[in-house]
Amino acid sequence: MAPKTTLLLSLLLASTAQAAPVKVATSIETFASLARAVGGDRVEVQSLSRGYQDPHFVDAKPNLLVVLSQTDLLVFAGLDLEIGWLPPLVTNSRNERIQPGQRGSLDASTAIDVMEVPTGAVSRAQGDIHPRGNPHYWITPVNALKVAKEIADRLKQLDPAGAASYDANLQAFGAQLKARAPAWSEKAKSLKGLKVVSYHKSFGYLARWLGLDEVGYVEDKPGIPPDPKHLVELIEHSKAEGVKLVMVESFYNRSIAQSVADKAGAKLAVIPSNVGATPAIADYPQLIDAILDALLKAAS
Amino acid sequence: MNPLILLAVLAATDPTPSSPNSEPAKPPEQGAQPSGGDDLARELEQVLANPSPPSATKSASGPAGSGLLNPDISVISDGVIGGWNQRPIFLSGDDPDLAAGAAGRALGLTLQELEIGFQSTVDPYFIANAFLTIPNLQGLEVEEAYAATTSLPWGFQLKAGVFRSSAGRQNEQHLHTQSFSLRPLINAAYLGPDGLRGPGAQLSWLAPTPFFLRLAAEVFSLPHDAELLTFGGASRYNPSAVATAKTFFDLGSSLSLMLGGTFAFGHAPVPDSTGIAPPELQGPRSWMAGGDLYLKWKRPNDVEGYFWLALQAEYFYRHIAPSADAASLEPVPAQLDGGAYAQLVAQIARRWQAGVRFDLLGLPESELIHRAARLSGMFQIAPSEFSRVRLQYFRGLAAAAPEQGLMLLLEYSIGAHGAHPY
Repeated sequence: MAPKTTLLLSLLLASTAQAAPVKVATSIETFASLARAVGGDRVEVQSLSRGYQDPHFVDAKPNLLVVLSQTDLLVFAGLDLEIGWLPPLVTNSRNERIQPGQRGSLDASTAIDVMEVPTGAVSRAQGDIHPRGNPHYWITPVNALKVAKEIADRLKQLDPAGAASYDANLQAFGAQLKARAPAWSEKAKSLKGLKVVSYHKSFGYLARWLGLDEVGYVEDKPGIPPDPKHLVELIEHSKAEGVKLVMVESFYNRSIAQSVADKAGAKLAVIPSNVGATPAIADYPQLIDAILDALLKAAS
Repeated sequence: MNPLILLAVLAATDPTPSSPNSEPAKPPEQGAQPSGGDDLARELEQVLANPSPPSATKSASGPAGSGLLNPDISVISDGVIGGWNQRPIFLSGDDPDLAAGAAGRALGLTLQELEIGFQSTVDPYFIANAFLTIPNLQGLEVEEAYAATTSLPWGFQLKAGVFRSSAGRQNEQHLHTQSFSLRPLINAAYLGPDGLRGPGAQLSWLAPTPFFLRLAAEVFSLPHDAELLTFGGASRYNPSAVATAKTFFDLGSSLSLMLGGTFAFGHAPVPDSTGIAPPELQGPRSWMAGGDLYLKWKRPNDVEGYFWLALQAEYFYRHIAPSADAASLEPVPAQLDGGAYAQLVAQIARRWQAGVRFDLLGLPESELIHRAARLSGMFQIAPSEFSRVRLQYFRGLAAAAPEQGLMLLLEYSIGAHGAHPY
């Protein structure tokens, strides 16, 4: 073989090796958006669920195995959020890289301070509770940035050649959030102290960030439809407390939450909780915008 | 030692209160007071500025202590009260036996099945599951106990132990993942009361196609004493073999289709008019081919309601080679027959499901399998994900004295039971 051809071939090989993107799969679209933000053009990202789906109950369709079999990095919320569908997919993906404990398996909850870890006895008499704490943590900008940083760290381990790029992307993403922070904080001010009722225990982190006062839950026991007695008490309690909003995530059926809101003299706020919840929510800043706008619109 | 780890160790062992210098490294307690104007920007800045803790100190949060390395343990109980006018044809082993094997009219209660499950990761290379069952209080059975690889290259997975074959769709499912209280007639008629399961090995391959395609090859040593009508008629050294293919398509955001194909071959039991044939006799060659489909319509979320609909159907076609009766030595001609079922299950409201199933055997008929049909209907409520109550009615069709029965099931699951495949 002529030296020139060898050189050309090795150059070609080198460039294709560098060009091969890190394949990232995420359990929810918000994490996919974060991975795209920090991964840039060095990654190829796919979400296993859609933003308009309930992340507790995704059908473990076999086509998700096809995605997972080729994944280099799997990012999931953990805290048993995906326990009903993700573990058998990971086991049967035949992909060593994403098995629990491997570098390609990233439990994003390790990046954040977990809220509402049950203390004392944990029993399913309390409903379908999350014994390791509340997994709905990605809807505050601080937690999202923590997760983004964790993803960047893991990408740097998997693709050291891109370390500088991941660092720069993370800083750019952080700057993007910081630039929006004053506007978000301004909107948050008018929500501070607002008394709300939540449908599912999904809004603990959001309520803490915004200073919302969650006085009750429509789902008395998570995952179990409320009984009428609880609803009557909740409506009375809400009236007495002066509840202004009933918050429900956009993928839930709204009929019960709507009737609680109507009877309690409150407004229903349908909250998008993931990127992709509606076609207009394409990235993380748009998600926070949409959440705050939904709250402000219902509270006004 | 990595300086970061050293720092972390020092910090952890330092009994004095942390110095003011180390304070900013700690994320502020968001819970203390709601954030005001610039707090968010400051917190974001801190997240960016802080070095990540060494990854060795991070692990998924979970229960500490004795539970850490124990397998997930679950118990699933299926209790039934009911009655029938005659013993149903082709009862499977995990169907409710309301009369402890007696033939006639029955009214009673039974613990249809108690399942004890252990599921765990073995090591970085294997996972293992063991499911012990007690059907109808008739002794402990090993329904499944197998290990499977998680990291073979090129899309391969090896499974070995006692397990349910991937033949068809219902055979692989445990009782509590079925929508009806009686298994389809083709289960006991073609695969035997226990279904096609036994000590075996399976090699499966996930094809590198853009859609889901899984091919599997299995061998089983089916014990002589199992009442298998198609296989199990050979000595342990002549295993039965099964090949299956499964594929799946998303047809839009709400509709999906799973298709399966099965081919199996082995030896059928020796025709024996007297029941005294010695067990070492090898039976005639047999083979079975089948197809199954699972078509499901379900919206991606519950905003517009909880309704979903699933159609499941399977067909088996079987051939047993000509042979001779072990006692009389009279020739027995080749047997060719088939059977099918189709079921439609709908979620009609949150927690409520209803379904119908039609079973048909003798398609075509043979001397072994005659024409028989059964219609079943069920209605169930699941108070939570972990319990359900089901009323089921069944009735034989086109028979002079049709079988019929009614049963009420209470099923519950306690402990940690792994999620089920689609």
